[in-house]
Amino acid sequence: MRAPLSLGALLLAVVSAALKAAAQQPAVDTHTQIQALQFPPLRFNPPQPKRITLSNGVPVYLLEDHTLPVISVQLVSKVGVANLPDSLWGVGWQADGLLRTGGTSRLTPDSVDKVIDFYALNISFSTDQEQSTAGLSGLSRYTDQLLDLGFDMMKNPRNDTSRVRILAAQQQENWRRRNDKPGSVLGRAWSQVLLGNHPLGRSLVTPEEIAGFTPARFRWVQERIYCPQNFLIGVSGDFQERQIIATLERQFRGWERCKPGLQAVPPLTFAQGPQLVLVEKDVNQTNIRMGHAGGLRVANTPDYFAAQVADFLLGGSGFTSRLLARVRSDSGFAYSAFSAWGADTKREDQFFAGAQIRAEKTVAGLSLMRSVIGSMASEPVTARDVKLAQDNEVNSFVFRFESPAQIVAQQLSYAADGLPPNWFDVYLRGIQAVTPDQVRQVSQRFLHPDKLVIVVVGKPSAFDKALSEIGRVTALPVDSIRR
Amino acid sequence: MRHALYWLIVVLFAAPAPAQQQQPTTPGERLAVVEHVLPNGMTFLLLRRPGAPTVSFVTHFRAGGVDEWTGISGTAHLFEHMLFKGSRTIGTKNIAVEQALFPRIDAVADSFTAEFRKGALTDSAQLQRLRDRLKQLEDTARQYVVSNELDRILTENGAVGLNASTGNDLTNYFFSLPANRAQLWFVLESDRLRNPVLREFYSEREVVMEERRLRVETQPFGMLLEEYLGAAFRAHPYGRPVVGVASEIQAVTRGSALEYFHKYYGPNNAVVAIVGDINVDSMKAWATRYFADIPPGQPHRPVVTQEPPQRGERRIEVQFDANPQLLVGYHVPNPQHPDGPALAVLSQVLTGGRSSRLFQRLVIRDRVATTIASFQFPGSLYPRMFTFQGVPIAPHTTQEIEAAVYEELDRLQREPPTEQELQRIRNQADAGAIQRLQSNFGLAFQLSNSEALWYDWRRTFRDQAALARVTAADVQRVAKTYFNPSNRTVATLVRPAKTATGGHD
Repeated sequence: MRAPLSLGALLLAVVSAALKAAAQQPAVDTHTQIQALQFPPLRFNPPQPKRITLSNGVPVYLLEDHTLPVISVQLVSKVGVANLPDSLWGVGWQADGLLRTGGTSRLTPDSVDKVIDFYALNISFSTDQEQSTAGLSGLSRYTDQLLDLGFDMMKNPRNDTSRVRILAAQQQENWRRRNDKPGSVLGRAWSQVLLGNHPLGRSLVTPEEIAGFTPARFRWVQERIYCPQNFLIGVSGDFQERQIIATLERQFRGWERCKPGLQAVPPLTFAQGPQLVLVEKDVNQTNIRMGHAGGLRVANTPDYFAAQVADFLLGGSGFTSRLLARVRSDSGFAYSAFSAWGADTKREDQFFAGAQIRAEKTVAGLSLMRSVIGSMASEPVTARDVKLAQDNEVNSFVFRFESPAQIVAQQLSYAADGLPPNWFDVYLRGIQAVTPDQVRQVSQRFLHPDKLVIVVVGKPSAFDKALSEIGRVTALPVDSIRR
Repeated sequence: MRHALYWLIVVLFAAPAPAQQQQPTTPGERLAVVEHVLPNGMTFLLLRRPGAPTVSFVTHFRAGGVDEWTGISGTAHLFEHMLFKGSRTIGTKNIAVEQALFPRIDAVADSFTAEFRKGALTDSAQLQRLRDRLKQLEDTARQYVVSNELDRILTENGAVGLNASTGNDLTNYFFSLPANRAQLWFVLESDRLRNPVLREFYSEREVVMEERRLRVETQPFGMLLEEYLGAAFRAHPYGRPVVGVASEIQAVTRGSALEYFHKYYGPNNAVVAIVGDINVDSMKAWATRYFADIPPGQPHRPVVTQEPPQRGERRIEVQFDANPQLLVGYHVPNPQHPDGPALAVLSQVLTGGRSSRLFQRLVIRDRVATTIASFQFPGSLYPRMFTFQGVPIAPHTTQEIEAAVYEELDRLQREPPTEQELQRIRNQADAGAIQRLQSNFGLAFQLSNSEALWYDWRRTFRDQAALARVTAADVQRVAKTYFNPSNRTVATLVRPAKTATGGHD
């Protein structure tokens, strides 16, 4: 191969060719066209859900919309699996599935399935860590069938033994398949390393927990999570207010109060870095995640808003973020690279960055990711960057109010999280007040590229360098990931 | 029955009534879509809807994986990535300098490809040198690049859902804007369609290789699917992975990607659907102003290759370090064929919902499988595969799932679907017909997809309505026609004898 052309010669060649090209094709500058665009002001007052309290104290958010003959009813319970005694975590994690499949005292499991399929109803339950949801939707002409069945399933679950057995077999198979995909290995290894065995880090039921699946234990969980005092309800779509309120009152009649026995989520502690953990798996692409405690709660504080902007510019906004630009666009190391600076209203959450990187660029990519995280403090973002994040939030706000169901869901989630109904306005104002210096400061205070917990899932013999060149490596065999 | 009679009359009197004059039967067909076709053939479907001031744009091009020629698999998809790299004015600090570097970069890329093509005789050190050199030159060119500028402009204007996808039949591009900024779509989209610049081409080729590894090479199901299609199609390009064969992705050149673009991305092959809070007259005026002077390209020509009839069952094993799963499929015609609706109903009878026959048997009664599903793919324009996917629960095996699928297919030939089963499917189709109208983006996608495939945006709604007219005898007939062992391909994922990682109980 010939020696590379000297830069001077190269530039010369480039310039003469450039002149020719420019002479041939004068381009219409798209920037000029964009600047000339005059956008009319966006006039939009999103419809507000109406809040009504049922006689048992349950709040209901209503938003009528008769455009299409469909109805959606959402019940949010303010508790979840992490509120259960530890011995019931696995049962709780699967309690939602059994509510859907286990039948009711009135209807066999098969009959429930038949009614749902025949009327094309959508009935689903989701028991999450600190919140649970029942979603009921369908054609509005079947509103009675929908609510009768949906409420019956929550009030009078049969937890049919045959369905408990099916669930156990399926979860056992899930367990058996837990290492089949690199993403699943990474997610579980990450939680174990960063959060230990804390319930908030769990996402898979173990064989020991499966052995404890019994109808009675499921019942214990369901009647504490899906019960009246925990609920907030949202109704959107094609309904009449008076009718739906009367129906909801009727559905709640005779439904017993929530039983005691739930507990506060135990305090969460995060592992301290630096740590470098390797899980060996024979793949030609390395799954990487790095991070630490996020340090911040969701709150009306300058730090929280500045962190949101920092995350947007670091790795939360796709191609306009530094991580994807450097790791993907500039280097071609990965298809995906991102960050997520989590925060919760109740406590701090985790910060992490992740990517799937070509095996032969593992160490180069990992080092690049680490330096991009560090760059948030060392190469401060510009006013233009911050304005990009702000403009994006301001200009895209209509998309948070696109459908009645979305508007109602937003209010339910604010109420469940203890945020004020106007939280979105507060948020938008908070974001707009962020300065580049605040972004630099939160990055400096809360992001620690030198103290990262790093988990790598891949095949070390295919890496560009030994991982040990960047830190002391702890091996985590795939079978010692506990769940 | 009324509808069937109506069709009969049309046929008898050979009076092809235009679609508009037929009595639209579904809410979708009754939508007030305005069709606006430019003289160059570019088609706009405009639909004003009440609600929040947002607007969704979805463009489908009649260009997909099947339109690639031998040796360039993955180019349709790689080109889709390139269309986000900007134009002669977006994404550049100095287009002239930038483009002047392209020939040098391409020359090194050609040397790389030549070395790569030597296969077993490839000099790996030389290959690495060429790769480094390619990177070095592209980094030089990158000094003149404004990274991801298209994305940046859209982001600051509040666009959401910016993305694209490449299929076998079509490629689509989409995003949504606040309604007051709709004109921005016309400016940016006409610019990138008129003046695409395939900058950062070779690093993006590496990105696509990582996408392939992410979706196929490290994923048991992705790998099984790819091998299954390869076994099922011997001649038709549906057997080729849209993401590309690894060795071909690594050898695609900027030249062939541009050639692909010039061949298939003419405005006459583009269908744009714009749905939301729009002023239809402004949309028409802007469509003309921004797109009318783009010259038409060659009309799209469907693939001539037809998959020859299969002569006996094909059975493959795919070794992968993961637990077993199964794909079983049969060649069936495309959905335009008169048997299309009956095949869709058959799929629902067997696997549509928890009360369907195969789900009841395999998941609930026998607890043999965690999932059983069926779907028709990998496209819509050409004959395709009616496919069952099953995941066994150990110690049960994929063979047990296979046996149950065959028995239920046989049973269907003997015992017709009941009236209740058919009514359930009609009800689900009814509900689906309304639920699919709920979002601007969803509607825009369906309209543009249907028009691009069938030159008729109503077709997608009509196809679904046709399910209601399927009789039990129709289902039995298609069960007998297509589901024969000799028309079957079976692919099983098996763990190699020696395993690298764990995953047992």
